[in-house]
Amino acid sequence: MSAWLHLFTLELAVVAIALLVLLWDAFAPAAGRAVGWTTALLLGGVFAASFFVDGRGTVPHGVFVRDEWVVFHERLFLAAGILGVLGSIDWLATRTPKRQAEYYALLLFSLAGMMLLAGARDWILLVTCFELMSMPLYVLCAYGKQDGPASEPKLAAEAGLKLFITGAASSGLTLFGLALVVGMTGTTHVGGIGANPAPLTIVGMLFVLAGFGFKVGAVPFHMWVPDTYQGAPTPFVAFLSVAPKAAGLATLAIVLLGGWSADSSVWLPVLLVLAGASMVVGNLFALPQTDARRLLGFSGVAQIGYALLALGAMSRGGLAMTLFFVATYVFTNLGVFFVLHAAAEEGGGHSLARIAGLSRRSPWLGGALLVFLLSLAGIPFVAGFWAKLFVFMEAWNAGLVGLVVLGVALAVIGLYYYLTVARSTYMADGDRTTPVPTGFALRAAILVCLIFVVGLGLWPRPLVEAADRAAAGIVSGR
Amino acid sequence: MNLTDQTWLWAIPALPLAGSALCGILHYLTIKARMPKRAHGAHGHDDHGHDAHGHGHAAHADHAASDHGAGDHAHGGDHGHGHAKVEPGLSAFAPWIAVLAMAGAFALAIKGFLGLQGETHALESPAWDWIDTGTFRIDLAIVLDRLSSVMTLVITGVGTLIHIYAAGYMKGDKHYAKFFAYLNLFVFAMLMLVLSSNLLGLFVGWEGVGLCSYFLIGFWYEKGWPAEAGQKAFVMNRIGDASFLIGSFLLVKLFGTLDLSDIVAGVSGLLGDPEKKYELLLAGLFLFGGACGKSAQLPLFTWLPDAMAGPTPVSALIHAATMVTAGIYLTVRLNPVYAASPDLLFFIGAVGAVTALIAGSTALVQRDIKRVLAYSTVSQLGYMFLGLGTGAWAAAIFHLVTHAFFKALLFLGAGSVIHGMHEEQDMHKMGGLKKHMPATYFTFLAGAAALSGLPLLSGYFSKDEILAHTFAHGGAYRILWGIGIATAAMTAFYTWRMVALTFFGKERFDPHHVHPHESPSVMTVPLMVLAVLSVFGGLLGLPPVLGSTHALEHWLEPVTAAGNALLAEHGTHALDHGTEWMLLGLGAVIALVFMGLGIRAYVGGTARDEKVASSAPGLARFLQGAWGIDAAYTAYVVRPMQLLFFVVAIVIDQFTIDGMVNGAGAVARTCGDRVRRMTSGNIATYGLWMGAAAALIAFLFLKRIG
Repeated sequence: MSAWLHLFTLELAVVAIALLVLLWDAFAPAAGRAVGWTTALLLGGVFAASFFVDGRGTVPHGVFVRDEWVVFHERLFLAAGILGVLGSIDWLATRTPKRQAEYYALLLFSLAGMMLLAGARDWILLVTCFELMSMPLYVLCAYGKQDGPASEPKLAAEAGLKLFITGAASSGLTLFGLALVVGMTGTTHVGGIGANPAPLTIVGMLFVLAGFGFKVGAVPFHMWVPDTYQGAPTPFVAFLSVAPKAAGLATLAIVLLGGWSADSSVWLPVLLVLAGASMVVGNLFALPQTDARRLLGFSGVAQIGYALLALGAMSRGGLAMTLFFVATYVFTNLGVFFVLHAAAEEGGGHSLARIAGLSRRSPWLGGALLVFLLSLAGIPFVAGFWAKLFVFMEAWNAGLVGLVVLGVALAVIGLYYYLTVARSTYMADGDRTTPVPTGFALRAAILVCLIFVVGLGLWPRPLVEAADRAAAGIVSGR
Repeated sequence: MNLTDQTWLWAIPALPLAGSALCGILHYLTIKARMPKRAHGAHGHDDHGHDAHGHGHAAHADHAASDHGAGDHAHGGDHGHGHAKVEPGLSAFAPWIAVLAMAGAFALAIKGFLGLQGETHALESPAWDWIDTGTFRIDLAIVLDRLSSVMTLVITGVGTLIHIYAAGYMKGDKHYAKFFAYLNLFVFAMLMLVLSSNLLGLFVGWEGVGLCSYFLIGFWYEKGWPAEAGQKAFVMNRIGDASFLIGSFLLVKLFGTLDLSDIVAGVSGLLGDPEKKYELLLAGLFLFGGACGKSAQLPLFTWLPDAMAGPTPVSALIHAATMVTAGIYLTVRLNPVYAASPDLLFFIGAVGAVTALIAGSTALVQRDIKRVLAYSTVSQLGYMFLGLGTGAWAAAIFHLVTHAFFKALLFLGAGSVIHGMHEEQDMHKMGGLKKHMPATYFTFLAGAAALSGLPLLSGYFSKDEILAHTFAHGGAYRILWGIGIATAAMTAFYTWRMVALTFFGKERFDPHHVHPHESPSVMTVPLMVLAVLSVFGGLLGLPPVLGSTHALEHWLEPVTAAGNALLAEHGTHALDHGTEWMLLGLGAVIALVFMGLGIRAYVGGTARDEKVASSAPGLARFLQGAWGIDAAYTAYVVRPMQLLFFVVAIVIDQFTIDGMVNGAGAVARTCGDRVRRMTSGNIATYGLWMGAAAALIAFLFLKRIG
């Protein structure tokens, strides 16, 4: 048994940190920021260790495979987890000083689920990991149920309930589909379908696809996204908006490109429709929004559309660019939400009017927000430019001309609403003029995101190479 | 020259990039030093600022009532921020760094120019495999050929002068260093655009200049409208950029390479295949769409007049001399793609001519001096596209170069006037400035004479060359030629109207409140250099009829050969000497006559404008609003979109999602109960929706299989 236990070193470490945090809280409840910083630093240690722990291999029966693909995702999720923790430290220490540990522990359990997910090649393990990832998120979503300005309704509990019910429904879809697939093929291995599947297998596959479509927030399974983003506590939304989506895309890649590549004629049209619809609906619905988080919710739907487009290229290059796109999106979106969180801190509320005058009050926060927004819009010198360009290039090479033209055109609309957000930070008629108070941890998190977004904009090569190596784990050849 | 090691070419774009980074750091340090708690620590640096700019501070403390006189240092704080005096601190070094970076790049551009003599047609740096994963590879190299050498000389040469001017113009601005950081970053992006060996590098520059333009138009965002103008410019540019990207993808698909020289070389090989020829036409059309965005042609030109919200050096550098010429550069760079299709060429010429006419006529009635120049720029860019439409690549580049000289000069001169008039841009409130600002006046005259095409000045030769080519093509091109001649008349008229309203006649401002003064020499010396270039720039391309060779055309021969060879298949168009003399004479007469008319109408003041406004109010409004095009966009594109999205937000969003209820806090609080019920109702809606969607997908595919 111990012959393959070392494959799970990093995941076990994350779970150990979660248990440590829980025990710490049980025996010596500590107010202040100690728990949060310890969690962040320990996670940082795990991240650093991922460069030294050389565990590649396969668990017996091929249930779990740890290769470059998994390593890439482990690092990505760990980075998102570290930043997610960093961004929450100040908020938790002031809002709920008495019960911080549970937040971190739940986040870590979810993180462990994601990290395992990337290597799962068996339906049972895959679904279990997916639920391990999702369950803590439902709880976290409702965590700040007393938060928000007195004048506005408390939305966190509602957001949590919505996420839970729609999440449960989508899990139901997935499980129903899987029951059909496994029942028809007689194997729980992800790649067990083979060519020319029976009609009932196809129905099962499509239900699985619909279930995962929910997790990544693709149209028409996107409705929970803006609602949840608007209602849940912002530091958590930052994490929710990136890590589970990256995990969902990873799963789609494992299942579609890894397991079912022989049956692409079944799922490719569906995937492309989801991609196109997500781009259209996300971009157009983002336009009239007046709440920054709701706007970013729709923007996230649109961004998932671009990622699915690259996935639809069905090539190693396309998959690599999906990974590159998602990785830049992780840092960019975390950054955006952290800045919004900082800007809304006193008084709360995230309407665009609320951030008016931000770049005058706190030039650095305003500048950082502008950089993140430009990255989302795909403008040169920041990471998002390459992400969009590479996605379009790979999709074009794969012959998806119509969708590329659509995506390029919709990116113009994207620029418009991102700049509208930026413009509201310029406006001088904000009612406050004092600098925005930000804690050290939050500033550190924003700075790290900024460094990655600008650094990858100037020098994307390391990430492109890593993504390419990772993609080779799923799609072999060129 | 050692052809194997041209790594130094990278230094041309790298210098402004480094300058930008340094200025950015200076900006950071300045801002940090200004923060209240650090004020004491930074005092040492501020001392330097006092030494250099002592008078400036006294002046902007109360600039509304102060008597600046003609002091060299009395210009800070004029930019309407309404803030108390700003210590320049470390940012005082920013212009030095920026100008040095520009001058260095200019020196290297000259080195490259000297290296291109004789049989050497291009210098190429070693390729840098910027990304290479085995499956995904992007090389990047810097190529300085005859065309990019001309562009680089203009960008760095005129750019250096504008940077020097900006050092005086922006003095006292609280974001002095940031301005130069953006300006240098712009130059970097522009140089990448013209020096890249492949489409990808060109695209980075193409989008990069749009970004810098956005930053710089919105530089004084605190006034509100510049931020809006910046956004408009950026988004309209992005429409063009989308078109550009699709055109590039088509080219890559056709030629299987990103490399520009391979694409140019490969065109003639494709023409045998009608399908590929059609795709080539499509690619050319999409790329021209990109050029229309960047170079402000119909239908995407309305952002340029609004872009005048930026500081005047920005208008001169980006929105007259360099960025807006990117479309011309692109078309000449890919000249065989266009030369392959006479229909596409005619289309480009027609778009150029019509844009020239619309913008030229709009400039006739503007009161804001910068808007006159903005519409004039659109109009002159139209001339360049008209030239391209006739396949006169060299003529278009010739006009690009002379236009860069005289339009930069006119913008900077206008900036000097605006500066001296305490931020007044309305020409109706100027007049009689020639005795107050002699240096600005004389240099402005040179620029105006060149723009209006007075004989023997630079603009005369370059514009007439384009018109001569158009005339020579005959057929439908004669109509375009007629439009070009009409526009030339308007050009002379509005140019001299502008001069007369600004410098001639009586003073129409209150001398008790406004004390016009000449600008400091840091601003006037660049004007003088540009004035010399505007007057003598025509020497670059004297027409053959004057017995000399067209130096520029000869110089560009290696670049334009491929396109010219394709054009020759459709027949050549040459004019006999008599016709050529006739056209030159006609151009001179028109320029002189309409110059006279313009001065005569406006030397006495603004009466003519008022007369036009009262006798033909409809026409005046029509022209004032650029033939109603922007208004039409608002009425037929923006408003319906807004309405649509309002409906989307209110109806659809509320129907499926309770967004509006969540947003309306007060309402929700009073009827919190109802909100809960509505919300839980919505979850059922979600479930229903999701189940229905999944079932629909399953049904569709079962049907397809069954």
